[in-house]
Amino acid sequence: MYNNILPAVYGLNLIEKSMLSIIPEAVIILFAFLVLFLTFFEKLAKSKNPYYLSLIGIGFSILYVLMLSGRDLNGFYGSIVFNSFEVFLFTAILFSGLFAVLVSKDYMKNSNMPNPEYYSLILFGISSMMFLVSSNNLIMIFLNIEFMSITAYILTGYFKGNKRSTEAALKYFILGAFASAFLLFGAVFIYASTGHLNLYEIHTFLKNIAYGGLIKSGGGMGINIYLTAGLLLFLTGFAFKMSLFPFHSWTPDAYDGAPTPVTSFMATGIKLAAFAIFLRVYTLIYNFNIINFNGILWLLAVFSMTFGNIAALLSSNVKRLLAYSSIAQAGFILIGIIGGGFYGYSGTLFYLLAYIFMTAGAFTIVIIFENSDLISLDINKYSGLGYKYPFIAASMSFFLLSLAGIPMTSGFMGKFYVFSSAVKSGYNWLVIIALLNSAIAAYYYIKIIVKMYMPDKEMLNSSAVNSEGAFGIINGAVSDGLIITIIICLFFTLLMGIYPQIFINFANNSAASLWKI
Amino acid sequence: MSNYLILATIIFTIGAAGVIIRKNLIVVFMSLELMFNSANLGFVAVSNALNLVSGDIFVIFVMVVAAAEAAVALGIAIAFYREKGTADIDEASELKN
Repeated sequence: MYNNILPAVYGLNLIEKSMLSIIPEAVIILFAFLVLFLTFFEKLAKSKNPYYLSLIGIGFSILYVLMLSGRDLNGFYGSIVFNSFEVFLFTAILFSGLFAVLVSKDYMKNSNMPNPEYYSLILFGISSMMFLVSSNNLIMIFLNIEFMSITAYILTGYFKGNKRSTEAALKYFILGAFASAFLLFGAVFIYASTGHLNLYEIHTFLKNIAYGGLIKSGGGMGINIYLTAGLLLFLTGFAFKMSLFPFHSWTPDAYDGAPTPVTSFMATGIKLAAFAIFLRVYTLIYNFNIINFNGILWLLAVFSMTFGNIAALLSSNVKRLLAYSSIAQAGFILIGIIGGGFYGYSGTLFYLLAYIFMTAGAFTIVIIFENSDLISLDINKYSGLGYKYPFIAASMSFFLLSLAGIPMTSGFMGKFYVFSSAVKSGYNWLVIIALLNSAIAAYYYIKIIVKMYMPDKEMLNSSAVNSEGAFGIINGAVSDGLIITIIICLFFTLLMGIYPQIFINFANNSAASLWKI
Repeated sequence: MSNYLILATIIFTIGAAGVIIRKNLIVVFMSLELMFNSANLGFVAVSNALNLVSGDIFVIFVMVVAAAEAAVALGIAIAFYREKGTADIDEASELKN
């Protein structure tokens, strides 16, 4: 579609090809440095320039992703790949970054935070996620997971002098670095057993062994033990980053203590990037029946869903509730990977995209309620907001219904694709457990909606319950950025629910390129 | 190679145990460094045994990352110490259900 904009790839030499494959990330990095550069000039840094500059950077990056779409690039000796898998995920990551920037302006102003560094950290975070998604080498995977995590640690502790924020950063850091060490140690064993770091080379090596029968025979025992240990350690590291059940304990604390825009960014972007790279690693090096990894994932998914939902039932803080629900959602997303095959993977990607819009939307509304400073994060304080802020409360209800998986929303379609792929692969019990879990989940999502629209008696009498303004928005409390975010999220959540064909085709295309070696 | 890997595993386990058991923040960070460096040992050993360079390159990257992480870790530790007046991890108990 955009073929005539850039010169044909085949006429380029190796370095030019490599550079072409990282243009979208490079643009983001460039703008991150520009934003950082603004801090030298007090006047420029104080105004809204950093905010607009980051938006322009994200816009340029989206443009380059569109220009490069349809190409199959690989650069830096196969460490970086760029094909339709990346196009899909870059779009999703850039959307999540866009929301993080749009949502931050008011929040940062209200909490008197220094601005430019914040935006440049967000931009670095986006670029690290994009690098992570396109990396195809154990070095790159480790490096970018660390890059992504370090920006996340700093952003989590961004509230200077706020005890909760610092503590969240501390807990997140210790557990995150712990997980990275597991990941790294897993990489040692994978390297020891295969002698390769490039995922495609590892894949080819394992394929030769698997079909040569070496793994079963005694001669391959050494490889077998090392490989099993390596893959298990690697899986542990990823499970931490994806916040699956036994490794989830950082999630509620980090989500709760971090500034809410950062929470939204972590819940969408980081989770998406971690799942995406896990999907690539899983298809390429786990699929050789060395041991039954699907069984392990089965357990992880079941426990994450059940634990996440039960913990969410018991929590009364909105951010914690959404954090626990994100653990449960991670379990649902994992079902697609377990189901496997082409449809499983495209369903996973579809669910991930849907998840970004609903979660970002829900967090945006939490930010609005938090900003209009009367309302704390306690769920009981949400009582009666449905009458006070009709538009915002209605969108919140819609996002929550989507997270619960009610038909006509993207969450339903995502669950449908993921579950049907699991049924196709014969994981009936898994789907039954998942359906029971969706029922539990619906309870606590709908609890919030009930609180908003059916206030307690005394709440109704004490506070003046009337709508303010056309959208029911307090003047000055809600800026355009927040409203734009809500509208984009609403639009996509609805569109993915009622007309998912476009998105599932997009996801199919990108899932197909997973195996392209 | 396997002897080195066993040694690396032992060091890694000591590091992991240190992260879980020790209460002092700085000791926890040191244990984390120990975990990273045990992986470095493993990479160097494997890369030497298999006559490859890629493992050595990985080690350099890991060292860079560990340095960056130490910088962030100490920043967080200082912020924590300023607020609590102690480096005891058990004091981190603000965030609860």
